[in-house]
This record gives sequence, structure tokens and C-alpha cells, in this order.
Amino acid sequence: MVKKRANPLRIDFKKGIIEDKLLQIRNEETKEVPDLIHIWTVDISPKDSKKFIELVRFLASPRDPVSLLHIKRVKKNVIGSNTSLMVALCSIQLFNSKDEVIRTLQEFNRDLVYENLTCEHQAPLQGPGTKEQAISWSEKYWPLIWRGNPNDQILNDMEFDMLFIKDILKKISEKSKEELANGNKRPIVTAFVEPSKKETIITTDSCCTTPLDHSIMNGIRKVAENNMKYSRMHPNTEKTKDSPYLCLGYEIYTTHEPCSMCSMALIHSRIKRCIFIEPMAHTGSLTVNSGDGYCMHNNRLLNSKYEVFQWIGDEYKVPALPRDTCC
Amino acid sequence: MENDANGVHFSHMRTAIKLAKYALDHGETPVACIFVHSPTNKIVAYGLNDTNNSLSGIAHAEFIGIDQIKAKFGVDRLLDVFKDLVLYVTVEPCIMCASALKQLGIQKVIFGCGNERFGGNGTILSINKDDSTRSPSGLVYESFPGIFRKEAVMLLRYFYVKENDHAPTPRNKSDRNLDTETFPDMEWSKYVERSQFAQEFGSQYLEIFDCNQDLPQFSTVDCDLIDNPCDDIINYLETQINSFHLDNIHKKIKLAK
Repeated sequence: MVKKRANPLRIDFKKGIIEDKLLQIRNEETKEVPDLIHIWTVDISPKDSKKFIELVRFLASPRDPVSLLHIKRVKKNVIGSNTSLMVALCSIQLFNSKDEVIRTLQEFNRDLVYENLTCEHQAPLQGPGTKEQAISWSEKYWPLIWRGNPNDQILNDMEFDMLFIKDILKKISEKSKEELANGNKRPIVTAFVEPSKKETIITTDSCCTTPLDHSIMNGIRKVAENNMKYSRMHPNTEKTKDSPYLCLGYEIYTTHEPCSMCSMALIHSRIKRCIFIEPMAHTGSLTVNSGDGYCMHNNRLLNSKYEVFQWIGDEYKVPALPRDTCC
Repeated sequence: MENDANGVHFSHMRTAIKLAKYALDHGETPVACIFVHSPTNKIVAYGLNDTNNSLSGIAHAEFIGIDQIKAKFGVDRLLDVFKDLVLYVTVEPCIMCASALKQLGIQKVIFGCGNERFGGNGTILSINKDDSTRSPSGLVYESFPGIFRKEAVMLLRYFYVKENDHAPTPRNKSDRNLDTETFPDMEWSKYVERSQFAQEFGSQYLEIFDCNQDLPQFSTVDCDLIDNPCDDIINYLETQINSFHLDNIHKKIKLAK
């Protein structure tokens, strides 16, 4: 893990672009207006704050089903010369009645002194996406903690071998043009790079002869064949972390944005990363703006994920396809 | 309207459940399917999950069946055959399979239980009714759940109390208890419109749709069906699919007209 400043790669964290060429594709999770949740609050005297901090720790997740790590728990109330503190105890999801809160507080510590127990205040349910947003949401809703966008650290920790990536993209774009020249009406090409990067399998689309044989499906089958050979050659060896399992840890490079079938097949195959060149506006399943906006690799309804990037450089042009083509 | 469809669905899904039980007995995930040629009501192909055996994450039952159909009818006639096929599958097709079936232009899908993790016919996404997954005709396909639903769930529960030693770090599942009593609600509206339900199963059952219940013939688990071994099912299906010939069918249909 390197510090953001020490990263030799040029990363635009705001737009999610690596070296001006690779655009990170994700679900647009950073909202302008946050979802809000009601929180239970009490007013206390500053001298009691220690007891209440203990209470907050006791109530916090996993007890509270809602994580409130991104909000400040104590807010200052200055009324004339009196300073009191408002403490955010927990979300409304933990307790749905005032009596329940009172009972729990009493059980926790009989000597707690507080006023104005209420659930009328609301706080953002998600953390802010930018520092500016943290400031404006804090003023509008409830004071927030800004620790930086978690995606920045995720992007910063990813590895990109730009020379390797360019080399593979060049190969598949050239192969794509070659397929078109040879009469393949679906010149879609995919490269499967195994985790050690020693071996690469390049597959083409053969739908014209056998429907559904998209280049990604062909590649997944080829990897399965290779894994089968490996397991036949090593019949008695213990399964280790390094034994091949599906396409676990693979990087996939493809000329055109995959369809719903292929993008899901990549989830089943446990790949690490997919880089594509040409978005498919009507049939694609990865970008928010393609097709039905599934973002299959980062869909909150599916608990599996992979990384996706689009090559946005001018190099590696690939043949355009009819708009209804599922790739 | 007491629909003939109910009896047809009953008998075909019963076959699919037996096939899934066969898969379970042979170390595979108990998901199985059969493809039925609807004009003749004949079984043309079958498939059972083969992901463990083939070391491929995409060797789902539907794909095994599709490969049989490709081999039997040839690529040139594939789409022509597919538009007359109804799929009976014990578990809702995943997003990948739902997409594959749509791209081949399947007529209809009937399934047992929903697929809570990856379902592509309504549970997670509704690929069968979407815009971005293109079918040859440009049409969507209907998909009905609930036929032998509890039996399909039970077979999965039997499987998940065993361990999957193919995964890199097998989870210890032996401490899990097998629940034979409780089942999630049958949420029809996730999958079909009220009017479609009435048309398929008969309007006398609409209360079942409204109350998220199972159809009466599927309210209790048929234990014999899922507990008895059924190793003869493969022979039965092989005989069925080998006796199906499209050319004879076309002649017969012409004669009947």
C-alpha cells in the first residue's frame, strides 16, 4: 500500500481515471441529496459526556443495524451563557419507542442525566462523497466526519501495469479488425489473463456458427478445459490457495462492453477485473448509461463484484457493431 | 377455467424435480431442467447442473440442455425450434441463463422456487422483460414460478448441509440445521402480473396470488418425490428425447390440419 501522494500512477480520484486512459466504471453511489435516517438524541451537560460516550459505544453497530461511523456523535448547543451537548445515541432502527430507549438507558447506567429525548433529528444514511459535500451536509443535516472517499483508497491500492494493459488491448483490437476482414460479422475479441500474467488466452465470438458462443463464454470454457487438464496432471495433490479455481483472479480484456449473459458469467467465474474498449449503449450491462443500467459488476443486489474499467484513450479503435448486438 | 396447463406443468416439473434429486445423489447442485416442445408436449432435452464436475462456473442445467438441443437439431434450425420450447427448471434461471434463454427466443419458462442470489426472472433482475437483452423476435418471455416450489427448496437445503469441497476455503456447514417446516412467502407479483397468473392457472386461484400462497396441489411437501432414489430417470429421459423427431412432427401437424 502506497500513500496517495507517492503513487507513481497519475490518478484523477474525483473522476476515477488512471493515467488519463482508464475510466473506473461504478454505480453512481455519490448522491447530491442523501437518504436520511431519524436518530435518537438527548441533551446533556458537558461534564457527563464521558458516560454518554460509553453508552454510544455500547449501542453502536452491531447492536444498531445502521452504521453511523460517518456522523459526529456530539453536537454543541450554545444558548446564552449555557453550553449543552446534544448526543446522537443510535438510529431509530435500534429502538422504535421512547420507552424502549428510556429502559435501555436505565439498565446501562442508573445515574444518567439527560433531557429532551427525541427522534426528530435526521442524519445522512451514507457518508459524503467529497469534502465539499461533507461541509454542506454537515450544515444542512447533522455534523459529519470527513475521512476521505473510501473509493480513493481502493483505487490507490489497485495495481495497473500500463505497458501490459496497452499490449493486450493492442492485440485484441488488431485481432478484432482481422476477424472483420475475415468475414466474421461479430468481430468481438476477449483476452483472459491468468493471475500470474504468464498465460493469456484470446477468444473470438463464434455466434454466427453457434448462437450464444460469445467471446467471453468461449474464454470461460477454455479456462475450464485448462483447469481440468491441470487437475488431471495433479490428481493427488492437496488443493491449495494456488490451485486454479474457475477464473478466480483473472483479468479480462474485451473489445466491446459485455451483455447481461456475459457480465453475469464473469461473476459466476469469479474474475478480478474487466477492461473493455467500446461501450454498447443499448445492450451493455456494465456502465450506468448502457442498456438497462444494470452495472452487473457492482450491483448492490448481487453480493459478488469485480472491477471494471473502460479504455478512454484514442488508441485501439475497434469495429463498430449494429446497436442491437449482444456482446 | 380449469386450465390444462396445470396438469402439464405438474407432470413436467415432477420429472425435473426427479432429475434434480438425481443430481443431488451424484454430488452436484440439485438444479435440473427439461425442455418441452409445446405443440406436441414432448420432452426434447434435459440438463442438470454440471459446475462441480466440469470445473466451469457457467455449466448450469439450462446450458447443458441448450447444448443437447444444438447437437440434436443443428445450428440452422436452433432458433426455429426454440420459439416452440417451454423450459421447466426447478430453480429460477440465474441472470446469465435468463439472458441466454432470451437471446435464443424461448417461448416460456416455468420454475419451482426463486433464486435468491442470482435470479434473472424477477427475484434480482427481470431479464426476461428487459430492453437490453435482445431476443430474435424482439419479444419478451413469460416466466411462472411456484410449481413444486417447496420440493425444489428442500433439495437445495439437502445440498447446503453438505460441504462444497471444491471451493478454495470450504465453509463448515455441518452445524446447520435442516428446516423442513418453514418456507418463504410465494411472492407471485415479483414474477407475473395478476392477469397473467389468472390466464395461466385459472381465475379461481386469484386469491392465492393476492395472499402470496402456494397453489393447492403444492401446499405440502411431497416427501416421496424428493427422498426416494430415482436413478432410472436418465434412461427415461434418454428414451423420451431419442423418440422425438422434428420431421415427423411437421408431417403430423400438416396431416392434422
